[in-house]
Amino acid sequence: MTNSDSLTIVAIATPRGYGGIALIRLSGPKALSIAKRLFVSNQNLSPRRAVFGNLIDDSGTIDTGVVTYFKAPSSYTGEDVVEISIHGNPYLCDLVISACKKLGAVSAGPGEFTQRAFLNGKMDLSQAEGVADITYSSSRAAQSASMDLLRGALGTEIKKIKAALINTITVLELELDFQEDEIDFISARDTLGAVSVIISTIDRLLKTYDWGKIIREGMRCPIIGAPNSGKSSLFNAFLQEERVIVSSLPGTTRDYIEETIRVDNYQIRLVDTAGLRNTNNEIESRGMQKTKSLMRDGNILLYVIDLSDPRETMPKLTPSELKKTCFILNKADIAKPAHLQNAIKLIGNRRYFICSALNHTGVREIATALITEIEKLSPENCPIIITRERHKDALFYTNLNLKRSVNSIRRGAAPEIISIDLREALGYLDVILGKTENDDILNNIFNNFCIGK
Amino acid sequence: MFHVKRSYDNIVIGGGHAGLEASLASSRMGANTLLVTMDISAISRMSCNPAIGGLAKGHLVAEIDALGGEMARVIDKTGIQFRMLNRSRGRAVWSPRAQADKIKYSFEMRSRVENQDNLDILEDTVIKIITEKDRVVAILTQNHGEISCLSAIVTAGTFLNGLIHIGLEHKKGGRLDEESAVGITQSLNSVGIISGRLKTGTPPRIHFDSINIEHTTPQYGDAQPVPFSFQTKNFAPKNIPCYITHTNQVTHDILFSGLDRSPLYSGKIRGVGPRYCPSIEDKIVRFRNRSSHQIFLEPEWEGACQYYVNGFSTSLPIDIQRKGLRSIPGLEEAEIIKPGYAIEYDFFSSYQLKRTLETKTISGLYLAGQVNGTSGYEEAAALGLMAGINAVLKIHSEQPFILSRSDAYIGVLIDDLITKSPAEPYRMFTSSAEYRLLLRFDNADQRLSHYGQRYGLVPSEQFLKTRQKTDTIRTTIDFLRATTIGPAEINPTLHRCGENAVGSGLNLFKALCRPNIHLEDLLQFLPSSLSNVIVSIDGLVNLVEIDVKYHGYIKRQSIQIKSQARHENTLLSPDFDYLKINSITKEAREKLNQIKPETIGQASRISGVSPSDITALLILLKKQVVSRET
Ligand SMILES: Cc1cc2nc3c(=O)[nH]c(=O)nc-3n(C[C@H](O)[C@H](O)[C@H](O)COP(=O)(O)OP(=O)(O)OC[C@H]3O[C@@H](n4cnc5c(N)ncnc54)[C@H](O)[C@@H]3O)c2cc1C
Ligand SMILES: Nc1nc2c(ncn2[C@@H]2O[C@H](COP(=O)(O)OP(=O)(O)O)[C@@H](O)[C@H]2O)c(=O)[nH]1
Ligand SMILES: [Mg+2]
Repeated sequence: MTNSDSLTIVAIATPRGYGGIALIRLSGPKALSIAKRLFVSNQNLSPRRAVFGNLIDDSGTIDTGVVTYFKAPSSYTGEDVVEISIHGNPYLCDLVISACKKLGAVSAGPGEFTQRAFLNGKMDLSQAEGVADITYSSSRAAQSASMDLLRGALGTEIKKIKAALINTITVLELELDFQEDEIDFISARDTLGAVSVIISTIDRLLKTYDWGKIIREGMRCPIIGAPNSGKSSLFNAFLQEERVIVSSLPGTTRDYIEETIRVDNYQIRLVDTAGLRNTNNEIESRGMQKTKSLMRDGNILLYVIDLSDPRETMPKLTPSELKKTCFILNKADIAKPAHLQNAIKLIGNRRYFICSALNHTGVREIATALITEIEKLSPENCPIIITRERHKDALFYTNLNLKRSVNSIRRGAAPEIISIDLREALGYLDVILGKTENDDILNNIFNNFCIGK
Repeated sequence: MFHVKRSYDNIVIGGGHAGLEASLASSRMGANTLLVTMDISAISRMSCNPAIGGLAKGHLVAEIDALGGEMARVIDKTGIQFRMLNRSRGRAVWSPRAQADKIKYSFEMRSRVENQDNLDILEDTVIKIITEKDRVVAILTQNHGEISCLSAIVTAGTFLNGLIHIGLEHKKGGRLDEESAVGITQSLNSVGIISGRLKTGTPPRIHFDSINIEHTTPQYGDAQPVPFSFQTKNFAPKNIPCYITHTNQVTHDILFSGLDRSPLYSGKIRGVGPRYCPSIEDKIVRFRNRSSHQIFLEPEWEGACQYYVNGFSTSLPIDIQRKGLRSIPGLEEAEIIKPGYAIEYDFFSSYQLKRTLETKTISGLYLAGQVNGTSGYEEAAALGLMAGINAVLKIHSEQPFILSRSDAYIGVLIDDLITKSPAEPYRMFTSSAEYRLLLRFDNADQRLSHYGQRYGLVPSEQFLKTRQKTDTIRTTIDFLRATTIGPAEINPTLHRCGENAVGSGLNLFKALCRPNIHLEDLLQFLPSSLSNVIVSIDGLVNLVEIDVKYHGYIKRQSIQIKSQARHENTLLSPDFDYLKINSITKEAREKLNQIKPETIGQASRISGVSPSDITALLILLKKQVVSRET
């Protein structure tokens, strides 16, 4: 339903940052009129034609750019849409956007383009989610996962699981709706076996979620360690070595700085933290708490040890933190061999890298090693990757109920009890796929069993 | 013979299972009611199987009883064999079934309508429904002219343009040897109500003296039969057996040889038949690898000479029927009294109905029973009862009576009819109900008696009895939860029941959760004032046990119901133009526009309407509300 009263929205459609081309999108009834005042060219704007010209505001030309007009309803949102491509410079983008706002547009809320597209019948919910993913992801690996979702690779896989589950329910319910003398239960009642297979399939899918999150959002690598060990220096060394800065998210607090670098096809989110004080003191500072939470969420922790500091002690890390820690023995340029021996002893033969953040020696190697670590997390034999939290949750609860049913089956519960768990499991699959009709179960019965007196 | 007035509040058309419940409820609720039926001696005739109840259907009968309907009491009085089905499974799916004495059943029902105040009976055929400005004003009968009414309930069963098939021969009829009814379909079509064709079939009836009983296996009912009605006392019914035998490869070969003269396989019949009730020819064609099918020989009444050949529904020519039967052990010399046949008839797709069973387009016109596209006596009776109650409520300008899917199987039945508008005859299945643990046969009175009482259909005495039952269950469970028994006292009981002993005290509720412990084992720990009441109420121990042993599941189902309830009753305007909504799929748009659901809950159950469509609808509704507010 195209609502002519609706506001015209504007936003950057590409990730913020330097480099390449930035796309600014306007959608709504005023999109064209705004574009006409913002854009000067010797060609006219007509639907689906990219036109080259100058973008101007009150103070003059902002940039040269290409503008394309999409007439409603043949556009991404189903409304009038104008797409403006300019050079990928945040400052220029901000100028164009504020010019649009002066001409009557408002900032788009998060996901508002997609939501309008959805409300105007341009896509269904799962497509909308796939598109949202493409919009917000920037690495190619993430893009391919989103495309899979759009094409329905996940859909196909879950449909298979669902069919198996419906079959299992059918066999159970058959026993409720027909008497033994009305029908013969031709299928062996191997409910347990069938359910177990489904459970392990879903478990495998669930494992891909962590991986999916890494390729979508990048691998989170907080840099931790004592003050002055060289965390910030290492952070900067990474940024200079891997020159492609993907995005720069300011920390929500001033306690840390985050930058995303791209290595091969992967994104690595480096976080420079406030530092760990290795004291017995209470965790007093907010910075410490923040660091702790970053460590919990981190995929790999880069623990910087100052080789030149003889006071370095064994860091207090929990076993699960330790498991994902990679030690960086820094300031190798000024370290004495004895220090190195000490440090290695200190970390108890765990994996480490030696570098000099100051000279950038060894930094490249760390980056390469991180990629190896990322790839270790990649699930084997699972062509599909769960990227949406919604999907992960649905599958998680599906399995929870399936596991409950296994307990019921083992306890020898009646079919209508087991069926409660199985149907609830089915309900969670429906969250991803759309609902199951009761008829699906009845049809299955009618098609496969000779019933009726 | 009858004094017929020229005007009634409510007219019920058809004295079948639906019509009987409709006219009794209507007259009992104070509406001046007329029942018009073609043949008074055929009132509540069982067209097919001489049996009431069965899986899921037994639940319907109990619900009808709890609401003050007649079916349960009449079958308790006239049944000749009672069995509780599904006994090997959990109690939630136990369901009673009875062999009926179909002559006594019909006779008993007839006497109830004849003795009912406020209710006149007219033997005639209705040939037209007369409407004015989208509302019913009168009916036209063949012999008694026009009779006006405020509402009319059509319960014409399989009679509308009924066409009977035996082999390649066909003739008009509503049942074998009964006339079909013409005119109603046409008058409803002319006001825009769409009709379709369905098909069903019945097996031959054979002569008892021609059965070689010794070649069959008798099957009796339960030694301790359970009645259908919560009001039945001193239940001691007959226990007359059925006989079991089987078809064989020879039978199948014979039937196969007749397929070229089958109206089904020659394409003569176009109406859609029920897949759950296949004819024997369907069974042998679809399941070719099965070399035998079970057959039940069922008496049609006490001391009957006429037996119903359950499992042998057919419309093959009579010579094939006879030859086929005679290849079956026990039936070597079978004499057919009435052949099996198929019947095609008109029905009205149920999406055209509101939840009250009133048609969406014609005010005051209700449809119930087989004409809604259902099949089965129990389904018909349930629908008739609901239509009867709602017709009167509307006349009295009161709130409609609507049961939800979590209230009753009847709620599931009506919701399925409206949201699914099935294309084949709809029968109640256990698997159609989501909340089976809550919708049990044994708690139908607790679930529904208060409605029956509210509408004056359930006697106060029965209602109070139910209330006492509910209260006692609650008191008992509260007591169990609050009481812990020391090891010395409880361990002997645990030991006796084969359960592990406890070192410290054991809470009685937890004790009862243990699989081998029954309430009887724990009565000694209850105050005698309470335990005396418990044992005085029939079946109460079981009710408490179910609530305790299944409490986890019951709680989960209750939570589900609550979470569904959020949008369940969010109303959708009947004027909503779904075709204009671009944000939902084309299929959903068309379905919604056809069905025009009354609530979001209904919309969500329409096939082809996805959760994302519902989200879009909700977003739209929200948008409308917001734009109205600003
Ligand atoms: C051959 C056959 C096979 C069947 N097989 C099965 C089966 O296998 N399983 C199953 O569950 N159900 C079966 N049924 C259906 C079952 O009989 C019906 O579901 C049930 O009887 C429907 O009840 P009802 O009240 O809707 O209609 P009915 O019991 O058909 O009653 C209709 C009544 O309406 C009267 N009537 C009709 N038209 C008019 C009119 N214009 N004016 C006045 N009176 C009228 C008739 O005289 C009749 O008394 C079968 C029915 C038939 C006929
Ligand atoms: N010689 C040498 N000095 C370093 C190296 N890395 C960091 N430093 C110095 O150590 C000090 C603290 O560095 P900084 O990165 O701010 O430490 P942070 O507190 O852990 O962030 C600075 O004076 C750096 O110049 C290194 O590899 N070699
Ligand atoms: Mg620092």
